[in-house]
Amino acid sequence: MISTYLFFGFALLAILGALGLILFKHPMNGAMSFVITLISLAGLYALLSAKLIFAIQLIVYAGAIMSLILFIIMFLNIQDKDLPLDPNRWFYLAGAIVVVAPIAGLLLKITRSLPAVEATVLEDGFGSVKVVGQLLFRDWLLPFEIVSILLLVALVGAVVLAGKREE
Amino acid sequence: MISHYLILSIILFCLGILGVVSRRNVFIVFMAIELMLNAANLGFVALARLHVNMDGHVLALMVMAVAAAEAALALAVIILLHKHKGNLDTNIFSLLKG
Repeated sequence: MISTYLFFGFALLAILGALGLILFKHPMNGAMSFVITLISLAGLYALLSAKLIFAIQLIVYAGAIMSLILFIIMFLNIQDKDLPLDPNRWFYLAGAIVVVAPIAGLLLKITRSLPAVEATVLEDGFGSVKVVGQLLFRDWLLPFEIVSILLLVALVGAVVLAGKREE
Repeated sequence: MISHYLILSIILFCLGILGVVSRRNVFIVFMAIELMLNAANLGFVALARLHVNMDGHVLALMVMAVAAAEAALALAVIILLHKHKGNLDTNIFSLLKG
């Protein structure tokens, strides 16, 4: 019962944070409200008994990636006069709603055909670090190694791009 | 109910699309893309719970790794662009046009 209330609380916070992201003018305000979305998504992962994903969402997403973005926003020292003017913003928003609404309606209709399963918290190690880690290193070993190569390439690329000296 | 989680995932994904289309600030567009990745992650984890199968968790981990790589590269490009143009407008990306 309490998990239902928790779900609706977290869902409301996530939607409000996303709305703040796309409506706030300054990127700093948008980033802070996006952090709220990420943290409430971590709570939803915990409700779905995905313990490893819950921890990684908090540490990697809300911790590392968002602090990197906030650091860059502060590093560039963005004033109000540097922000691009959005004169057609509401026009584009209305057009996008017209395009996206039928697709969203179709997807919502698809979710109605799924079996009605209550999202109770599962025991016996579903989603725990040990079980997911064993799955990762047994069945998903090759994709895991490819991800490490991807991260290495991204690291080298970021250093090459951002560390370029002016001649 | 699991379908509520999927409905929330669809709503967040659509909000991400609206952010990408309607805003011209590079940071907002970038974070809206991150929002869409997160919505896909929520879908993966909800379907993993529905089928009591943990492959969805592994896929969510992969998506997070891709998001981290994307964040590093995109922020490097934004710094470079801000250094050259002193602007954050997505329209200045048109200098890549052939």
